[in-house]
Order: sequence, then structure tokens, then C-alpha cells
Amino acid sequence: MMTKPYLALGLAGPHLVELTTNHQLLERWDALPVAFSVLGIDRIDGSAPAPVTLSSSAVGATLASATKRGRFLIAASPQRDHPYNIARRVASLAHLSGGRSGLLIGVRDAYAPEGPKDAPAWGGAGLGGGAPLNAQTAYDTARAVRALEQSWPYDSIIGDRETGILVESNRILHVDIENSFSIAGPLNAPAPETGASVIAWYAETATDRPPTSDDTPIELILGAAGSVPVVALGKEPPVGQFAGIVLRAGIEQSVSELLDAAERWLADGFVPSALGGSLRATLNLSLPAPLPSTARAAFPVPQPHVSL
Amino acid sequence: MLGYLPAAWKTPHLKKDAFVDPEYWENLGKTAERGTLDAIFLADGPLLGDPAYDANPIRLEPTVNWGHVAAATSRVGLVATASSTFNDPFELAERFLSFDHQTGGRAAWNVVTTRGVPAARNFGMPDIPFRDDRYERANEFVDVVRALWASAATGRDVHFHGGFFDIDGRLRVPPSKQGHPVIFQAGGSPQGRELAGRAAEGVFAAELTKNQAIEHYRLVKGFARSNGRSPDDIKILPGLLLSLGSTEEEARRRSDEIHDAGPPSYSIGWLSQAIGFDASKLELDEPFPEEVLAPIGNAQSFLGSIGFRESIITQIRKTNPTVRSYLKQTRYTGSGHAGFVGTPEQLADHIEDWFHAGAIDGFNLQPDRLIDGLDVIVDELVPILRERGLYRHQYETETLREHFQAASPTPPF
Repeated sequence: MMTKPYLALGLAGPHLVELTTNHQLLERWDALPVAFSVLGIDRIDGSAPAPVTLSSSAVGATLASATKRGRFLIAASPQRDHPYNIARRVASLAHLSGGRSGLLIGVRDAYAPEGPKDAPAWGGAGLGGGAPLNAQTAYDTARAVRALEQSWPYDSIIGDRETGILVESNRILHVDIENSFSIAGPLNAPAPETGASVIAWYAETATDRPPTSDDTPIELILGAAGSVPVVALGKEPPVGQFAGIVLRAGIEQSVSELLDAAERWLADGFVPSALGGSLRATLNLSLPAPLPSTARAAFPVPQPHVSL
Repeated sequence: MLGYLPAAWKTPHLKKDAFVDPEYWENLGKTAERGTLDAIFLADGPLLGDPAYDANPIRLEPTVNWGHVAAATSRVGLVATASSTFNDPFELAERFLSFDHQTGGRAAWNVVTTRGVPAARNFGMPDIPFRDDRYERANEFVDVVRALWASAATGRDVHFHGGFFDIDGRLRVPPSKQGHPVIFQAGGSPQGRELAGRAAEGVFAAELTKNQAIEHYRLVKGFARSNGRSPDDIKILPGLLLSLGSTEEEARRRSDEIHDAGPPSYSIGWLSQAIGFDASKLELDEPFPEEVLAPIGNAQSFLGSIGFRESIITQIRKTNPTVRSYLKQTRYTGSGHAGFVGTPEQLADHIEDWFHAGAIDGFNLQPDRLIDGLDVIVDELVPILRERGLYRHQYETETLREHFQAASPTPPF
């Protein structure tokens, strides 16, 4: 028996502005039983930059607060950004949205100027370091974000008023990453209660697929070469068996046209996703394995202390 | 951020993970807005100190955190700290203008250069750059960010080629309701004050005495004037660590209780960091030795804040206390930042006094514990200031820049 795919939405730059400045659209968006929306898919899918856009994480912060159920992926790339800084925003959004958020990591950022030729990824920050602008760097960024988000187990927060110990901080680990980036860690926020954030990749062709490794952080591949193809609004869904479909509006199309089409598709051939709940649970993804037990503890075992 | 004292988390008013709880943050924003406060502020750094006994080292990313609070509020300004050392200016400019757009023009960027080896090691660097290099970079970083914000309005590309950054491009983020974010500068080093005079619209200062505060107030406003700006374009807001109670005795008891609930090593560690000397090696019942108080040999590699250190050394020289009594005394006077323990009425007197003396445009109030401390500011201090004609009764302006512009002009100096 064919299982029906879930539906997701792809928003480009202008849609981010439109959605977040219109209360009614936000309500409609929040009530739609789709799996997730990609905030600024045009930033990383090879599109030319639209006339307007917003940082994905700024939009995510608004959605986390102004809506209660809708889930989203923020788009980020290491072209002008660093994995530590990306991980902070990803983890912060997960806490504030109740796990409704995740990350779509991209190789390039359509809206960012090119960095220096010898280190076009992160090299523009002028700190030395930096890396080539390629799939390996994006993949290494995803690995770093995943490790950093896991560097501080949520259940180490004990808040024991008797011993005066808030966090069993000896359980917080350095990540000691040495790949395209060198990062000691740990992250300065705990792992989300709902588990490390889902990390997605975009691949239109087989050559766009991510590198592989035993500890791959990529759990979801969007695009024709992945399990969740992207379909332009106005086109028909592709024939075949897919986990889900991303319905993507073009920059000349409005959010309301996108939501209208999504409602029609949900009524015919797509499986509605639960309203609310974490992205990880909605996509039925298991929790990633924790950091290896060989990782260095960041802090000594806290000792109970008595008042002066 | 649960309050400046490490034991703030121990109150039964807070869940154990309040620092990552969206409702906790929304509630803070709504409370500040009930008191028509100009803004709320978050410090930041891309590193983790040991959170074993203290929630202060735990940090959600400020633009995300305040972006979330913005959607639950409508008028209060939102000041987010971000490092000019550990960011790319294009990404930061785009993110902060987006944050400003999403908040309806209520955002500010507090520029810091970030200290601490652990931060450097999160960015592939063995050590933090020297102070002069950090400030030289900060200056250029701020120029790039401001040029990019301007490009969002004009639609024209920026072509910037400096010592640190090369940018050819523009932002495609719509200008916000206030155009672009307000810039804050924090810290009292000479380079920091110069940067403030040139580019900042707000300064978070560390002042222990009124006379010193007046001197610095005039200095920074003077820098603004010599940069062709009006002294009114830059607001000086020293930090003030607070414990408030309905009587002075109650306030002292509250301060003692929250201090005593924290680890004793904490105040020693705090002092060590501030003065650049391991205070645990000092004899507790002896006065501070001269070697600790002498000018620092190498300001470049000093890891602490020069502004904080200067304030503390001045204070110690004045009364020559023993180390133990200084550590106890700082419970009431703060460390680096001034401290205030007393009633809302007394605090209103203090604010009025410093304001009329030409020492401040306002204060950055830092309660010992926010969950109940902010309520006291909003429900008890603010009404007194309103009665005295010193504070707004309701928001009459919408953006953070407008809130600041509505403040009293700088007195002649």
C-alpha cells in the first residue's frame, strides 16, 4: 500500500517579510497541518537573491513566540557564519520554540558577498582560518552544530537547592572538533529538552548529496536527490514514493497563495502532520547518539557548598 | 540571566531550567513594559564558564532570545550584546537589521570585543587578540556594519576594503521602523570611549563614585561633540547592582541571604578576574599589597576590564580595607559596577542626585534576582520617579531611538 507523503512549505526572502508582518497569515500558517516550513529556502538552494529577505533566525525567533504549533527549519551556511554561532542560534530557537525548529545547512549563501578567495567560507571574518566553500565545509559545519548542541546534556540541570548545585557541570563535554573548523566547545546553552535539533541538507542532483561518515548529522535531504522533493507552486507533485514534499512559492507568489495551495493539497493526497510538537517527533526521527564517552569533561565535579 | 547574584536560581519562584524557559523570558519583557522601561539588556559571549552553581554563564543567543520576547511585547527596547571579535560583519549586520525589523524598531546592538581564552578556542584561535587589535578591529567592524545598514536603505552596494574586512555587496533586509538598530558600547577603556564617542548612541559604563561618573560623562559626551555629534545623541547609563527592600534592613537581609546562598569562592573569583590577580592567594585579614594595586604592567594582555579595575583600585585606595572586609563590603557597593542596597525611595533619591549632578542619563539597573527584583523596580521605584516628574507615565514613543530622543537633554558642561 502506498503511504501518503507529508507536506512542507518553502518560503523565500519576500515571504519571510510578508508572513511575519501579517497577523492573519501567522494564524493561518500556525493552523496548517504541515510538517515544517523552510524559512528562506532561496538562501541556500542556488536561487538568485530576491529583492528582500530576513535572517532566518530572526524570523524563527518571531515564529517561536508568535505561534504555538508551526514547525520550521532555519537556513544557514558557513559562507559568512561560524558553526559555534550557528549552533547557538539553533539551540536557542529549539528551547524557545519547544523543539519546533531545526536547521537546513547550505553550502553557499545567496545573499552574502563572496569571502576571500583563499578561504571563502568564514574567511571573511578576518580572523585567519576559514575553509573552502564546498559541501565538505557545510557538512563539517553540520557536524559541529550537532556536537555542540549535544555537549551539555539537558538532564545535567538538577537545581539542587540543598547542595547548591544547579548543574552537574562535570557532565558537560568539550567537543574538540578538528575538521574544516577547530572548536573546543562546549556550547553555552544546554541541549534542548526535545533533543538535538534536526539537521537537513538540500540536494537537487546526486552530486549535491552530502558527504558521508559514520556520525552523519544529516537526517533529512530536501530536493530531487533526497527523500523530500521540492515542488514549485503551480506545478503538480512528482510521481513516486516520497516521505514528503516541499511546496515552494516563487518570489512573485504570495504567502496566502502558498497557504491556499497547501490547504488544497492537504485535502487531496497528503497526510496531515500533527499540529504542534517537536520537529524530531513529527518526522519520527530517533535521537542521535550522544557524544563519545572519551570526550573531555569541561568542568570538575561540583562540590556541595555550605553558606559562609 | 536570572539576576546578577549567582544564587538567584535557588528561589522557589523559579523552575530549575528557567534560563531556557520561553515563559520566563516573555514574563520579564512584559514586566519591563508594564514599567515603561526604555529597554532591557542582555550581556553575551561565545563561551561557557562553569554553570555548576550559577546560571549567569548560561546564554541563549541574544538576538534570538530578544526576538522571541519582542513578539510578546510592543514597546520595550531590546539591547542584544554581540562580539565584534567573533562574528563576520556581514552576517551580524544582516541579523541585527532583521532583528530590528522584526521588533518594530526596538533593537540595539551592544558592541563588545570579548575577553577570554575559552572564546578564542571556540573559533580556532589559541588565544584572544591583544586589546589594541580587538579595538582596531571593533572600529572597522562597526564601520562595515553601519555602511551595510545604510545600503539596506539606499539599495546601493558597499565597497569596503579595510585592514580586516573586504566587502562588496549590500543588505537586502528592509530598513526597520527606526531605520537601523541603536548601537551601544560597553566598557571604560580609552579605546572603548573613543569608539563610543564616534559611533554609539548608548554607553554602559562602570562607575563607583559620582565624581568619577561626572568626569566620564563629560569625557564621552565631549568625544561625541568632537566627532561632530550632539552630546544628546549619546546616552550614558552606568550599571547599578541592586538589592531592594521595603526597609533598608530588609534590603540588607535580602542581599545577605542571596549572597550567603552562593559559593564563597565566587566573590574571590569575581575580584580576581576584575583586578587581574589571583585573589585566593591573598591573606584575607591583611590589606591589599601594593603589587596588586600598582598599575598593570601590560595592558595589552590584561584579560580583565580596565574600566572595572580602575574603579575597584580607586575604591580600595580610598579606605585601605583588608581583603576580607573588602569582599564583605562589596556586597553593598558592588564590584566594578556600583551597588545599591536600600529602599525604592532611597534608590529614587540616588538616581535623582546623580541625574541632577550631570553624571548620568539613566541607569542600567541590575537586580540581584530578576524574578521578584524587576517587579519592585516596576511597581515601586517607577511610580516614585513618575511622581517626581523624572519618568514617563506611559510610552509616548514607539522605537528605542525615539525613547532615547525623548529623554532630557545633556546639561551644559
